Amino acid sequence: MKATVWKGRNSVAVEEVPDPQILSDRDIIVRVTSTAICGSDLHLIDGYVPTMKKGDILGHEFMGEVVETGRAVKSLRSGDRVVVPFPIDCGACNACKAKLYSLCENSNPNARLAEKLFGHPTAGIFGYSHLTGGFAGGQSEYVRVPFGDVGPLKIENGVSDETVLFLSDILPTGYMAAEFCDIGGGDVVAVWGAGPVGQFAAASAQLLGAAQVILIDRFDYRLDLARRHLDVETLNYEAVDSVPEALKELTGGRGPDACIDAVGLEAHHHGALYAYDRAKQALRQETDRPIALREAIMSCRNGGIVSVVGVYGGLIDKFPIGAVMNRGLTIRSGQCHVHRYMRPLLQRIEDGEIDPTFVITHRLSLDDAVHGYDVFKHKREACLKVVMTP
Amino acid sequence: MAARSVRARDRDSLAVSLGWFSIVLGTAEVAAPRAVCRLVGARDRGKAPVVVRAMGVRELVQGIGILARPRPTAWLWSRVAGDGLDLSLLGLVAAENAKRRTRTAIAIANVLAVTVPDVLESLHLSRKKGEPRAAQRLRKSITIAAAQDAVSSVVEADEELRLKVDGAGGRVRFAPAPGERGTEIIVEWEEAPPLGELGALAGKVSGRDLATQLADDLRRLKQRIETGEVVRSDAVTQGHSLGAQATQRPAQPLAEKEGVR
Repeated sequence: MKATVWKGRNSVAVEEVPDPQILSDRDIIVRVTSTAICGSDLHLIDGYVPTMKKGDILGHEFMGEVVETGRAVKSLRSGDRVVVPFPIDCGACNACKAKLYSLCENSNPNARLAEKLFGHPTAGIFGYSHLTGGFAGGQSEYVRVPFGDVGPLKIENGVSDETVLFLSDILPTGYMAAEFCDIGGGDVVAVWGAGPVGQFAAASAQLLGAAQVILIDRFDYRLDLARRHLDVETLNYEAVDSVPEALKELTGGRGPDACIDAVGLEAHHHGALYAYDRAKQALRQETDRPIALREAIMSCRNGGIVSVVGVYGGLIDKFPIGAVMNRGLTIRSGQCHVHRYMRPLLQRIEDGEIDPTFVITHRLSLDDAVHGYDVFKHKREACLKVVMTP
Repeated sequence: MAARSVRARDRDSLAVSLGWFSIVLGTAEVAAPRAVCRLVGARDRGKAPVVVRAMGVRELVQGIGILARPRPTAWLWSRVAGDGLDLSLLGLVAAENAKRRTRTAIAIANVLAVTVPDVLESLHLSRKKGEPRAAQRLRKSITIAAAQDAVSSVVEADEELRLKVDGAGGRVRFAPAPGERGTEIIVEWEEAPPLGELGALAGKVSGRDLATQLADDLRRLKQRIETGEVVRSDAVTQGHSLGAQATQRPAQPLAEKEGVR
């Protein structure tokens, strides 16, 4: 079969690889009908996530048709349409029982590696380095899905792939970011990063009753798209001297009640701080550039909530813990517990409360994955989200 | 739950690091005595390299003694004496080779810098009384989301695991995990590898020590009880193990037949 393969830093290729097979009784094989490139795939391409190996198949946002089921899988059969959540859940451990699906205690066969880096291991993830298990990803024609009887969501009616594909990751991730904010009446929410997750976080904050949502980015085409589809204010951070100051002025001096970091470890900035973090990262003195996170913390109102769904991988420098402690901030974070949100969000899609297709700018064949990565990474052709069909 | 001391040895971490320091310095002196001579400002011909090599042998013997003995008090004091010897030799070097005195001065400063912890640790160990304890008490545990009966019957049926634990003189017990989170499996044993730290290192590197093996065994046991299978990925086809960690395949499917059970 064809698959998008990691060939090293800044190098991907579409190659012929062996077809997946059932390895365990609870596996299913899915023929992929739609798959997408995620912002976090760029962290792998850019070489910021350790434990990648040449030949790794990428992709953790995918859906398709069940073509084979292991002996123990009773809930699905060949021909079923499913969306597959990116974290792999066993459904039986204490984490899964507590609906902390991205922290499944059993699904990562490289738990020892993850434990060394993070203190405790995290769940297996499709196509997302060996730290999360070394599972082949979904930017391919077929995928083996372990615990096929737990994670995949069956799509019963005839809605299009595009409408439900993002239930696999970015829509639940954006929604969880907003849910973390405990939004009450009159709350102002600021979102760093107008990529697909930031757009969905902003949309979700509105759904959950925010009085005002402010979306921050440096690309006008992304901010324009948000203003067209959502009722949000936007802030191009390259047009202001200081984001925290600008946010103060937009909120009567209080600061946003909640701040969402939908940027993560490869943040940009137009000031000297960027050069500082870029240099430290290049010298391996820190693994992540926490510029958006620092701004989110410094901007947040006293006693407010900072919600972190942008991906971080390791260690950062100049973390303003003094602001967090003295101003009573709460930080909430995590890889999305996708499984928890799939059904409720499918309901919201079916009810017409949200149409996630507005973020799609590129529809490509899987054969053009290299082009897809290129325009997404370099923000060419006003790219926001690439969806591919094998 | 009663408090428990996990570390029950007299050889604490400072003694261990001084032991490894001796090994590293001794290896350098034995392997490259002339380079060491130049480094401390001595002549790299004649008697000096021979003396340096002899000092290297001394360091190696001391290092092994410190790392291997349960309470290496005398070995630590021998390091203090060795520091004195090194300082007087460096004094002779300084008197004979006036041109390179800066290097010798730096070497003397370095020896003095390590003399301080040598003396402190020697005094610390000298204050210890009673039988020296060679063993370290170790514990590995894991929580399994299942009733104690179910967990204990699987553990009892697992002959390989039982033999391993028995072989190490350890014991397995079970405790309810608080908050109705299932059952804790707790394995406790005393570990006193031959040659102390050196044996412990060999066990870790070869993956033969019980702690390293239990990390895999307990995780696989948990997977079997909770999910009914040992979780396999494309990179780790046989499931969680130390060996698999080092020999990962790329994350792409196995060729036909290669991976079918």
